[in-house]
Amino acid sequence: MDIFFQQIINGLTIGSLYALIALGYTMVYGILKLINFAHGDLVALSAFVGMTVFAKILGGEASLFSVIALFLITMAVIAVAGVALDKSAYKPLRNAPRLSAVVSALGAGLVIQNGIMLTWGPNVNFFPGNLVPNIVWNIGGTVVTFIQMLILVLSLILMIALYLFINRTKMGTAIRASAIDKDASRLMGINVDRVISLVFIIGSALGAVGGIFIGMYYRGITFEMGWQYGLYAFVAAIMGGIGNIPGAMLGGILLGLFNALIAGYVSSTWTDAFTFLLLILIIIFRPTGILGEKVAEKV
Amino acid sequence: MRKLFTTLAVLFAATFFVSNSYAEDVIKIGVQAPITGSYANEGQGIDKAVRLLVEQKNAEGGLLGKKIKVYTCDDEGTAQAAAICGRELVNKGVIAVIGSYTSTCAQAAQEIYYKAGVLQTSDGTADALTKNSYWTFFRNSNPNSAEAVYTSDWMINKKKYDRIAVITDYSTFAQGLGNAVVEEVKKLGGNIIYTGKIKANSQNYTPILTKIKSMNPDVIYFSGYYSDGGLLRAQQKQLGIEADFIGGDANDNPDFVKLAGSAAEGAYIINVPTPELLPYDVAKEFLADYKEKYNEMPPSIWTVLNADGLRAIMHAIEETKSTDTKTIANYLVEMEPYPGLSGPLAWDEDGERVGSSYLTYRINENGNYDVVSK
Repeated sequence: MDIFFQQIINGLTIGSLYALIALGYTMVYGILKLINFAHGDLVALSAFVGMTVFAKILGGEASLFSVIALFLITMAVIAVAGVALDKSAYKPLRNAPRLSAVVSALGAGLVIQNGIMLTWGPNVNFFPGNLVPNIVWNIGGTVVTFIQMLILVLSLILMIALYLFINRTKMGTAIRASAIDKDASRLMGINVDRVISLVFIIGSALGAVGGIFIGMYYRGITFEMGWQYGLYAFVAAIMGGIGNIPGAMLGGILLGLFNALIAGYVSSTWTDAFTFLLLILIIIFRPTGILGEKVAEKV
Repeated sequence: MRKLFTTLAVLFAATFFVSNSYAEDVIKIGVQAPITGSYANEGQGIDKAVRLLVEQKNAEGGLLGKKIKVYTCDDEGTAQAAAICGRELVNKGVIAVIGSYTSTCAQAAQEIYYKAGVLQTSDGTADALTKNSYWTFFRNSNPNSAEAVYTSDWMINKKKYDRIAVITDYSTFAQGLGNAVVEEVKKLGGNIIYTGKIKANSQNYTPILTKIKSMNPDVIYFSGYYSDGGLLRAQQKQLGIEADFIGGDANDNPDFVKLAGSAAEGAYIINVPTPELLPYDVAKEFLADYKEKYNEMPPSIWTVLNADGLRAIMHAIEETKSTDTKTIANYLVEMEPYPGLSGPLAWDEDGERVGSSYLTYRINENGNYDVVSK
């Protein structure tokens, strides 16, 4: 039985990462109806920026302060990068056919990916391994580490905060309104351009948290890793109902659990095949995703 | 005038006679190696090693009372140049050729040496090199399939592992090695409890490791590359799986230790030895001499393996008291293992090296390698 609980923990950890990244996809899609394929590469970029910030700016000494500063500085840098991405790659194409923007997104992703390669080199880089205490809890054979708990708890807090922000604040209302009808929102006095920038800021900052977690959890980071995390997060966003914020969270967690259980009980060789089979089944039988129908207004 | 002619004629004849008899007095050895081109570093290493050993042998009085003379031909690492080298060295009258570095070049010249009855010893690892069973060819390295034989022997006969889990990735190399290990382990009556594949660079291996944990393995063998191996080891330790970890040769990279962090300690890696790690006294002596003469270490283990090829041929000439290549070749396939720099040297009739030069390293608490098994 301990293998089951262990797989649940494994799945929840990786699922939280997918969920954090999926939020960036789903929010941008909600507003712009654009699949931001460069989002995964922004996540990869955040791991590299985080590594460099910690070593160069924070002096490489791990403390509560430096770790918090690492998160905040990296989130800020990636938020700026996200807005710059929107302004340079997507804004000029706002009124162009949707396919142009998708192509532009793929191109922007390649630019970021190669930029990382040229800056930090093509080899594996190493995220500092001493950021958090190396504590391991063994609960009846199920192993949970401090970093796993940190990922789970912090992701949950961020997701709840985002949910409250979208549903309880004026800016959140503006985001929801823009998602339903941009032109009508403009007529009501909402600055839609600012709303779009805000969405890119929030989505990129959450992705940055995901990227730092990837670095902290796996240590080794490569310039091409963004594509894979981006792809899984994209699948998670579609599963949950793209454009739907709770859907992205649920989709991420479910995808992580599904992957872990398939690898554990069926075969690790077939994980990807089953994942995409699941995606196809969901698209066929529930085209709006798991939570797609429940929430009328899609953000 | 007549006197002058006579003198000249005598001088000429004398020169001719002397040079001719000089030719009779040397044993010619060829080096075919990439002295220029992409593998220049390796090729020059082979040439330097051969010249060092020959110099030492000549200082001792040579072979069978004759001096050894070395002819080097640059094959540039290309098949065409290798074929030209083959002809050139045969025309020079060498009895044996050391090299080349790449399997391609060794293979391109192989037939020329065979037809001329010239011995050839190379570090090429392609299994194809010994497929023709040319009596002139001797591989001084191990073919790719030999690692599996060594690995399974070590796991079953030395470590007595009872429950073995094997992980590969989707690369041709890792699957080939992994499947060969599984096959060899089964041949030895070993118990494979799990085989599975991971997708390289996917980073999250906890699901597959959790499954392996539930099967209670003695050892996890991974045939893929260091970038995944380091993470596998880290996540294995994190999940509290007490099994040993063995990585195939592609895990032999400093990044393995960086990725695994403190979990690297205790992991085993199987590979041909790096020159510094050769445990034999003859090897230590050779490396010290090499360093003294050239002020650098050999570029890689391949230099040492080629040096072993030459040493075996020189040994065979001394033992058989003959420079007839057929006699030497017969001796090489029949001789008792000869202590090489890279481990015992012996050959089968196809020119395949018997036994292996593989070593097992254990990573210690400082992240360095300790040789634990030959």
